[in-house]
Amino acid sequence: MTATTATSPGRTREPLRPARIGQTIMFVGLFTYFTLPMVAVFLYSIATRWTAHILPDGYTLDWWVSAFTDQAVIGAFGSTLVLATLTATLDILVVVPAAYWSRVRNPRIRTIVELSAAIPFALPYLVIGFGLLQFSGIVAPALQGTFPLLVLGHAAIAFPFLYWAVDGAMAAAGIERLSEAAETCGGSPAQIVRRVVLPNIKPGVVTGGLLAFATSFGEFAMVQTIARGVYTVPIWSAEAIRSYSGESGSFNRLAAVTMVNFVVLFALSAAVVYFNRGQTVRLLPGARSIEQREQG
Amino acid sequence: MSGVDLIGVTKVFGHVRALDDVNLQITSGEMVALLGPSGCGKTTLLRSVAGLERPTAGRILIGGRDVTSVPTRDRPIGMVFQSYALFPNLTVRQNIAFPLEVRHRPAAEVKARVDELLELVRLVPQADRYPNQVSGGQAQRCALGRALAPSPAVLLLDEPLSALDALVRTRLRDEIRRVQQLVKTTAIYVTHDQSEAMAIADRVAVMNHGKIEQVARPPELYESPATHFSATFVGSRNALELPVVSGRLVLGGAFDVPAPAGATDRAVAFFRPEDVEVTANGQGHPATLEVKIFLGSTTRLHLLTEVDGRQARFYADMPSRQALAYEPGAKLAVRIDPADVKTFALE
Ligand SMILES: Nc1ncnc2c1ncn2[C@@H]1O[C@H](COP(=O)(O)OP(=O)(O)OP(=O)(O)O)[C@@H](O)[C@H]1O
Ligand SMILES: [Mg+2]
Repeated sequence: MTATTATSPGRTREPLRPARIGQTIMFVGLFTYFTLPMVAVFLYSIATRWTAHILPDGYTLDWWVSAFTDQAVIGAFGSTLVLATLTATLDILVVVPAAYWSRVRNPRIRTIVELSAAIPFALPYLVIGFGLLQFSGIVAPALQGTFPLLVLGHAAIAFPFLYWAVDGAMAAAGIERLSEAAETCGGSPAQIVRRVVLPNIKPGVVTGGLLAFATSFGEFAMVQTIARGVYTVPIWSAEAIRSYSGESGSFNRLAAVTMVNFVVLFALSAAVVYFNRGQTVRLLPGARSIEQREQG
Repeated sequence: MSGVDLIGVTKVFGHVRALDDVNLQITSGEMVALLGPSGCGKTTLLRSVAGLERPTAGRILIGGRDVTSVPTRDRPIGMVFQSYALFPNLTVRQNIAFPLEVRHRPAAEVKARVDELLELVRLVPQADRYPNQVSGGQAQRCALGRALAPSPAVLLLDEPLSALDALVRTRLRDEIRRVQQLVKTTAIYVTHDQSEAMAIADRVAVMNHGKIEQVARPPELYESPATHFSATFVGSRNALELPVVSGRLVLGGAFDVPAPAGATDRAVAFFRPEDVEVTANGQGHPATLEVKIFLGSTTRLHLLTEVDGRQARFYADMPSRQALAYEPGAKLAVRIDPADVKTFALE
């Protein structure tokens, strides 16, 4: 039937084929599935009351104002930002030199790095956090329950994202080759890193840094295990749910905070996609080995 | 200006002897081609001179100074890689300026020198383009400019033309030679293409299994290869394995030459296609014309003959006009002047 319509003369518009309709329905369905909860959260954060009807009874900005004048919320956002920034910075400072070194000087440390990069995918964060707590109890009891230990913990779970992004960028740029060429040009190691290595892996570092930041920003289990006293946005949200006792507005404020949290993470994801221009799938662990297999 | 001395250079990778006691003297301003098959150690030797590989044993001198343990960045060298290895984040001009800038030369001096080099490698119109915006030939000229920028004592080139297509290749080969002679720098040129080696170099070093087999000027190498391997590798040669009969090697009525020293049972006779004299009914050894390959001014005949009871194939080159007379299947006769036959004992 489709064959006859397709070949029949005089048709100016291509008919909608069943496959195309199916695709459209699936896309709309997925889009709704992902956006509807966010729309609901947003509406809830500006609703006066939302009871019997499909839309709220009235709208107000009161919840937003009260949430973001609340010292607890401001503090939670502050420490979350500081935590995520320190995590990403620490990871960049450690991972970029390590990845570079493993490529140009000592390929043997690759095995170790890649093994440890797989751990956060294999073990629940709670378990890693607990392990870290036990370990610090033995080697550095003073660190237990502190913010620095939390930064170390987050750096440990976030670094694989940065590592894969940076290592992929180094492979794509052919960094070993460029380093050697720069050496024959008379460049010192510092000059090579600053003028040749970093500029050519920048998208990878930015992407990896954003992913590390996002990982830390939304992480809950490890904060809960390692540093009870640290009050981040996910912790604030969890407590808001747990301590709910019917008072008006507390869930609406939670909706406002969740909304901001979502927007931040969404903006980070958009930035990651932008910096990789369609290559985001390469950031997944194992993507590189599949690529290599396809090429060779 | 300064030459290069390699003294007993050996490099071992695990079980592989990539370089085996290599000795070579290169005089100032000379271009030496390292010629040999894949895996014979050409790149390893070049990288050792650059300091990118550390020899297991032996010494490397540049301009009389022992640089064996000097790091790459302090050696007076410039290097051109097969894969260009230009810095993608820098323009052509900035790439050429890089070696000068890392040496902290004053800005005015850098600019003057870069302009001079852009002129030399003919890249003035492309100066502000990025490497991904220029052709392969232009990229390699930029790499040449970058390597020459700090006026190195030695220019090292590792198969600089093998990523380019045929036409660009010969043009850039002559360009590299012109520039090298103009700036009078000592140069080592790695290639596995014998015609490239002979066309560009003052002397050719033939390498095999990590050793230098022979170092000679191109005509000398072409006329009188010193070893069995050189004879096989350089020039397109016919090789026939023949029995030694009372101290002589004989191919029917084609030639009769003394067997090489040390050959008791069998030996190899080499002769070049252009030295094979072909006649339709004259004297010599009978051969059957199998195929004719037209090569332009010359035509190559693939000939089949009986050697020592077995079929053997060899080639004869002749002016194309003369070859018109022969058709595949023709019964011909061949002769080779004994003076054009090189013999080597079987190893
Ligand atoms: N880093 C290395 N580790 C182990 N073996 C190596 C290494 N580099 C080179 N080799 C070995 O040393 C030998 C010489 O290699 P080299 O690259 O010098 O050859 P080449 O003459 O340049 O060959 P090609 O014409 O293919 O470039 C080879 O057998 C190679 O496998
Ligand atoms: Mg090589």
